[in-house]
Amino acid sequence: MAITGLIKGLGITLKHFIETYTVDLKDGKKRYNTPEGIKERSSADTKGIFTVQYPFEKVPVPEAFRYIPFLVFDESESGEKDIRCTSCGICAKVCPPQCIWITRSVNPETGKPVPKPAKFFIDIDICMNCGLCAEFCPFEAIRMDHDYEISSFNRFDHHIYDLDKLLKPAKYYAKIHPKQYAEEEAARIEKEAKKAAAKATKPA
Amino acid sequence: MSDEKLNNPGIEIPPELSNQIAVTTLDKIYNWSRAKSLWPMMFGLACCAIEMIITASSRFDFSRFGMEVMRPSPRQADVMLVSGTVTKKMIPQIVRLYNQMSEPRYVLAMGACASGGGPFKEGYNVVSGVDKFIPVDIYVPGCPPTPQALLHGLIMLTKKIETEKLSEAEWYKKDFNEEIPVPILGPDLIDPRKYDVIKNHTFNEDPFIDGGLVIDQKQGEQS
Ligand code: SF4
Ligand code: SF4
Ligand code: SF4
Repeated sequence: MAITGLIKGLGITLKHFIETYTVDLKDGKKRYNTPEGIKERSSADTKGIFTVQYPFEKVPVPEAFRYIPFLVFDESESGEKDIRCTSCGICAKVCPPQCIWITRSVNPETGKPVPKPAKFFIDIDICMNCGLCAEFCPFEAIRMDHDYEISSFNRFDHHIYDLDKLLKPAKYYAKIHPKQYAEEEAARIEKEAKKAAAKATKPA
Repeated sequence: MSDEKLNNPGIEIPPELSNQIAVTTLDKIYNWSRAKSLWPMMFGLACCAIEMIITASSRFDFSRFGMEVMRPSPRQADVMLVSGTVTKKMIPQIVRLYNQMSEPRYVLAMGACASGGGPFKEGYNVVSGVDKFIPVDIYVPGCPPTPQALLHGLIMLTKKIETEKLSEAEWYKKDFNEEIPVPILGPDLIDPRKYDVIKNHTFNEDPFIDGGLVIDQKQGEQS
């Protein structure tokens, strides 16, 4: 009994092995390093080898994929960075492992706080990729990144992200979260239109 | 095999012999052979281990990088993938396994838990970061890191290995002894390397004041 099972199993392995070559010959080069190829090899009825040849090709990540958060900034026409974050501190409060540190900027002349972060740190080796910060941020300022190739040799030099490393343009956000970005933009435009309408009707 | 990398630049190889011979330095061939045959140790700790298993299975398949098989014995392993939450109960075993691995040995901290404690960083029973006890060579963030993120970490590790030099390899030095004292698990975890600090704390009247500080204060009073 055990022998037949063994032979069956080896037969499947042999089949996969031979199919790897026959399918490769049939499909040619487009089986590797192309989005269709990866999709075909990920499907249930693929034949032959289905290994993702990682550094050369990558499995596309879905839009809702969460890795490390990043801060969004809008770029004005003159090229200035307009950080969306107002350093309200909500994300730091909701973060379950408490890996966000924020310092608010202070106007050097008046000494009054300015709603912009002076310092913003995320310890990405503590971050558990839960996405709560992005969920709770009222200003759409912090969003989850898709870049997962960030391992490094030194935790304290490279894995405490500061503003420099966290800030990414809104264009990048639109690229990796197209659906969510479009929804948020539509909501924002609607809100602004309502505001304008309310303003227009008030004095009358 | 990428012989551009292995070939020592500066020495011309006749075209009819290319792909058959390679002129290289001892360092390069030593590092190349080590980096291309990293064998991980087979053990998993928590949820991250599931991702590690996927990385090992045929969809991502790290035997493409020469990590052919996971070794169940630390004696045959080169790299320890600390995949998951390191509890205080587990760390003595991990340190012991690390001590049993033969040199050169590497440690990859996979996931938020192994790197810094992650979601449990202030937990009563969790070691916040395995690097408090054993030297970690590479940190892979994520909770859990996807298989591709782990593969990226492993590729980075091979890059690190390729920068090492045989003449500077400390594990061939005569007086090399990198045995890490195994932590003791009592009511809480005790790190034998910190006996002096613990002693200072215990024999002080106020256990919350650091030994050094109290002595300074007394000296201040005397003078
Ligand atoms: S990222 Fe959002 S939630 Fe966090 S401090 Fe800035 S504005 Fe507030
Ligand atoms: S993703 Fe979760 S753990 Fe990471 S910074 Fe945001 S709230 Fe904190
Ligand atoms: S880092 Fe996240 S996935 Fe990995 S062991 Fe810790 S809790 Fe689990």
